Amino acid sequence: MKHWLARAVFCLALPGAALADVADLDGAVDGHILPGFRALSQSTGALARTAQDHCAPEDAALRQAYGQAFDDWIKVSHLRFGPSEEEGRAFALAYWPDPRSKTPKALGQLMAEADPVAENAARYADVSIAARGFYALEYLLYDPEFSGDLPAPQAGYRCQLIQAVTADMAATAAVIWQGWDGDYAARLRAPGENDTYRTEAEAAQQLFTALSGGLEFTSAMRLGRPMGTFDRPRPQRAEARRSGRSLRHVVLSLEAMRELTGYLAAGAPDVAQGLDAAFAKALAEAEALDDPIFAEVATPQGRLHVEVLQQAVEEIRHSLAEDLGPRLGIAAGFNALDGD
Amino acid sequence: MTRLTATTSILALSLASAAPLWAEAPEKTEVLNTYADIAAAGYGDSLTTARALQEAVAALIADPSEANLAAARAAWIDARVPYQQTEVFRFGNAIVDDWEGKVNAWPLDEGLIDYVDASYGGATDENGFAVLNVVANPKFTLSGQEVDASDITPALLAETLHEADGVEANVATGYHAIEFLLWGQDLNGHAAGAGDRPWTDFASGEACTNGNCDRRAAYLKAATDLLVSDLDWMAAQWASDGAARATLLSDEDAGISAMLTGMGSLSYGEQAGERMRLGLMLNDPEEEHDCFSDNTHNSHYYDGLGVQNVYLGAYTRVDGSKVEGPSLADLVAAQDAALDAEMQAKLSTTMDALGALKSAADGGFSYDMMLERGNDKGEALIMGGVNGLIDQTRSIERVVAALGVDGIAFEGSDSLDNPEAVFQ
Repeated sequence: MKHWLARAVFCLALPGAALADVADLDGAVDGHILPGFRALSQSTGALARTAQDHCAPEDAALRQAYGQAFDDWIKVSHLRFGPSEEEGRAFALAYWPDPRSKTPKALGQLMAEADPVAENAARYADVSIAARGFYALEYLLYDPEFSGDLPAPQAGYRCQLIQAVTADMAATAAVIWQGWDGDYAARLRAPGENDTYRTEAEAAQQLFTALSGGLEFTSAMRLGRPMGTFDRPRPQRAEARRSGRSLRHVVLSLEAMRELTGYLAAGAPDVAQGLDAAFAKALAEAEALDDPIFAEVATPQGRLHVEVLQQAVEEIRHSLAEDLGPRLGIAAGFNALDGD
Repeated sequence: MTRLTATTSILALSLASAAPLWAEAPEKTEVLNTYADIAAAGYGDSLTTARALQEAVAALIADPSEANLAAARAAWIDARVPYQQTEVFRFGNAIVDDWEGKVNAWPLDEGLIDYVDASYGGATDENGFAVLNVVANPKFTLSGQEVDASDITPALLAETLHEADGVEANVATGYHAIEFLLWGQDLNGHAAGAGDRPWTDFASGEACTNGNCDRRAAYLKAATDLLVSDLDWMAAQWASDGAARATLLSDEDAGISAMLTGMGSLSYGEQAGERMRLGLMLNDPEEEHDCFSDNTHNSHYYDGLGVQNVYLGAYTRVDGSKVEGPSLADLVAAQDAALDAEMQAKLSTTMDALGALKSAADGGFSYDMMLERGNDKGEALIMGGVNGLIDQTRSIERVVAALGVDGIAFEGSDSLDNPEAVFQ
């Protein structure tokens, strides 16, 4: 079983009074969370509409719409609480990692049976998450086993499947957006006036946990999975390697989390500056890396480069826990990666 | 422990009458000792029931029959009851977490061990040894090394086969390897029924089915012996002079943190997330925690009970006796009676939901049926447990905040401290 994860061990309880001066909750909601989920809802909607007229895997308009929507997801992929946690919506959009290769199996089964569930996007929500969301769509658009030339009836079914997957994604993203735009943003903005967040500390802790968990995901999954071990690197485990997006996801996630960190540390300029520099350093490492799908981890030198980037991400996480946490008087709560 | 936070004032108003406000706080050391006593009893019970399994396996191998296979299966089911209640000790206690993979690793590519149905497939991108079939192959090559497996020993399982090629799904030891050998694959999909391995898979001479019955029996014996010795070791770590207890008691606040970390990590990321919700959303019977035996409902139930045990400072042993003492609940109640009431209520809600799931499964609505696509009743039962676990995690976080335990600020991750350890 996996042993990579950091166990959140808690240290707590500076007086809550300091908090209001430090974390800018309104800024985080208005400047980061709401624009992020609005964009995701819009671009998944555009993707679903594009797929109505362009359902060939190699279609440029379809791939462009897919790339835009995927970018928008990565930028909010660390915000796995509230509306995106409810009903497992984040899992429905993004089932990865997939250590037992369930996605190609599930898609293969749908294709082999021409399962009529693809006729209706609403019914498609009942399908296994392995066959839903961005990572399933990546197989349909970029994996030769699924995206290659097919006889007419199967190509027709694939078209229908792509339309169902994208429509289901748009519906999921729309529900998440409605949840935020409805009352969830207000709850985060006005802690103490609702039972979800009884104090400012609880609201700030939610964002802090999201950041800490998001950095852990980028470090351990986006980078750690392809790195494997020194003796056994695993380039084929890189996230979204089929569409060439592995490194891009590291960059986009770091940029987004840098933005959120700015709001969370708004009232502590010294800490904010240090964290911003740590993000800048990691981003510079990422941009210097000429290895879009981490294929080079197979070589000792290539692996070392990725490892340096991973260390830089871990340094951010460390600074978050050591410098910002105490200033906010909070520590990370439990996140989805606790466990094996 | 004197610091207070204002985090629970709202609840304090609404629930203040739920527990006596004059409750005296126990010493943290007493609370930690109760916790360690429960761990010692839980691993002790796991050891006792594993020894009973060992005897049942010996009887099956000596005298293969339908009845002896059924008895071994029953012993396995019984052995899971105390063990699942110890899972809460895993997170937060490094000594348990580092050891746990030997006894309870899951999910597994069972084709490593023995024959599988054609629908299982072959080697995959992720695992080149998914169909190694050690039972049928006394010699094979593993990561470039010739392996002589003519004698199937505990050492072969633990040192060579387990996590072979660095792949976690190569589970060669522990409860689930034994479970596979006793039940075989569950080929019923979403329909009722568990694995149906015939007893003749362990028969000798011409009665032997599916070949290599002697090697299959040797594997089962080696895996069971190993389980017993691993549990024996862990039970000793929690004895009065054990290392796990000593570490726990060496720093009171870190010890209390470890208790809460175990409760929260098991509730949220592990049980609600990985095991229950993900399995449900994948609609995949392979995602059942005890998939060969269809025992998943019990597995979830006793995991949840373990979390409640730790908070209440009480554990009912397999012989019916009770281990109890000053508890986290007492500690919280002395400081914030309303928060204690909230925590206890949420743990009860979860146990009610997991109890409903267990009853339904015991009544014939098996867990793999619940996982089927579009099975709304099953989804509701599973999500009842998931929601309870998620909700109780929020309260555990509040308890952490209220107790203001000075832990280690940042324990560090393997990936930072030792990058090579990331996927070992």
